[in-house]
Amino acid sequence: MSEHAASVVVSHLADRVGVETRLIDVAALPIRTDDAGESAKDPEFSDAMNRADALVVVAPEYNRGYPGLLKHVLDTNLHEYIHKAVGVVGVSSGIFGGARVIENLLPVLRELGFVTVFWDVNFNNVRTRFDETGVLVDDSFLAVDKFLDELIWMAETLRHGRENVVIGGAA
Amino acid sequence: MTETMRCPRCGAEMNHQANKLVEPLTAQEVEASAVLGGILLAVFACPQCGYVASTRDEPDDDR
Repeated sequence: MSEHAASVVVSHLADRVGVETRLIDVAALPIRTDDAGESAKDPEFSDAMNRADALVVVAPEYNRGYPGLLKHVLDTNLHEYIHKAVGVVGVSSGIFGGARVIENLLPVLRELGFVTVFWDVNFNNVRTRFDETGVLVDDSFLAVDKFLDELIWMAETLRHGRENVVIGGAA
Repeated sequence: MTETMRCPRCGAEMNHQANKLVEPLTAQEVEASAVLGGILLAVFACPQCGYVASTRDEPDDDR
């Protein structure tokens, strides 16, 4: 179901002028699990993160938390994320739409150096939102466009900052 | 702390955009991390191609 939710976000991003998007399935990445952190880095994923100005994390909520594999993959990079925009899309079969997984992910993303946006997208009742082919049949209460407006603004602003504003330059 | 870096991808001078406290990885870094509780990672971004790179604070650097 998270894959369907991610496809909705990708389709909205495809409508944005000047935005290049890539959908990455963490389950398909060749990242080893007998180690953790940057020593388990996958060069292709790292390159994608280095090139990106922003990241949208689509996270299913299980027992109020995020999947361990998602955390494991995120932990494999660090400088690639710093001062880049991130937004979180929560997915759950209940009424809260992944609100708890979003709250749990925010401190992790902050520690990784991301700058979080204040809009979220919540796919609640996800089992009834899509038909059997994965087509969204209920788009109520999905603030995808507001979320992307904020994310893209943040991505553009942070890119300018990363490339032009020296840290401590005003000290 | 290193404050200048050339982009390994395109050769342009990169912008020093962040200092991030990270966990020490070696015994030397553990010893050097006593002051701040970690090692500083200096993060740079290239204004030409956007590439991001970093250097770890050398334990012998002045703080």
